Amino acid sequence: MRRAQLEKAAANYWYLRGLFLVPLGALCVLSALGNWQVGPLRHPWAFLMLALLLGAGCLPINRYYNDNYGRISPSTSLHVRGAIALVIGVAAILGGSLLLRSRAPWSLDLPVNALAICFAIAMLASYGFGVGLHAHHVVIWGGLLVAGALPVWNGADPSNIGLLAAGIAFAISGLLDHRLFVKTFGPPGRLALEEGDVGA
Amino acid sequence: MSALSEEVPLDRLIHEPGRLAILTVLSSVREADFVFLQRATGLTKGNLSSHLAKLEDAGLVAIEKRFVRRKPNTNIALTAEGRRRIERHWKQLERLRTLGDRA
Repeated sequence: MRRAQLEKAAANYWYLRGLFLVPLGALCVLSALGNWQVGPLRHPWAFLMLALLLGAGCLPINRYYNDNYGRISPSTSLHVRGAIALVIGVAAILGGSLLLRSRAPWSLDLPVNALAICFAIAMLASYGFGVGLHAHHVVIWGGLLVAGALPVWNGADPSNIGLLAAGIAFAISGLLDHRLFVKTFGPPGRLALEEGDVGA
Repeated sequence: MSALSEEVPLDRLIHEPGRLAILTVLSSVREADFVFLQRATGLTKGNLSSHLAKLEDAGLVAIEKRFVRRKPNTNIALTAEGRRRIERHWKQLERLRTLGDRA
């Protein structure tokens, strides 16, 4: 009996429901394209409509996980870890991007892609505190961190490229998280739960 | 081994692998439903039901039955007594392991 593995089941369930990251990644890509005013995205209403559609797309994902893998209410410690990760994430994205490269007088104004670095740090912290880093997290988010930190981002503000890269990273990381989730908890539908759990 | 067992008595109700798995998973959440427990422990529906009934009779878990989108949904949480007993049981197992390593 592996105690740690059983105790980690809730954290795995909470953090590895990776399909949620796909619409989030798509939202980042849309934001970048919107900033570049590509096609219909030059109209704010078109961006808003697509963003709402992506938000609505989270409902069937939530239903898929609930129906096939059940529901949990996380423990206080899981909530606390999540809150710490969120605070670090927001601080990293807002503070880090202002510090590394912005118009603020105290900015270091480095030739780096601040947004890519900040998203990568936020996600590495989130996974690190929540469920522990897996190989694909290190490769994807570590890769984004390194790419963003290379001193090649001279010239125009590279934030949009960072947003686009973060969006792609979210989607790929989410799909690989989901694959790990299925490997951990089994393929969907295996339990034949159409009639509810009828348990206990 | 019997001498060790006498020295560190184990809770027989909890020591059964299925029930130990259920209580360990529940100790890491506030509450979980039947489907999640089945996924996390790998037990069959019948086995899980039977173990949960025993744990409920012993006052270690609280079971609430409800309907979610017109389907039955069973929600399970550890009671305070259940939390205390599973923590104590894992400590006992650790002690046994330590004593076994020394022997």
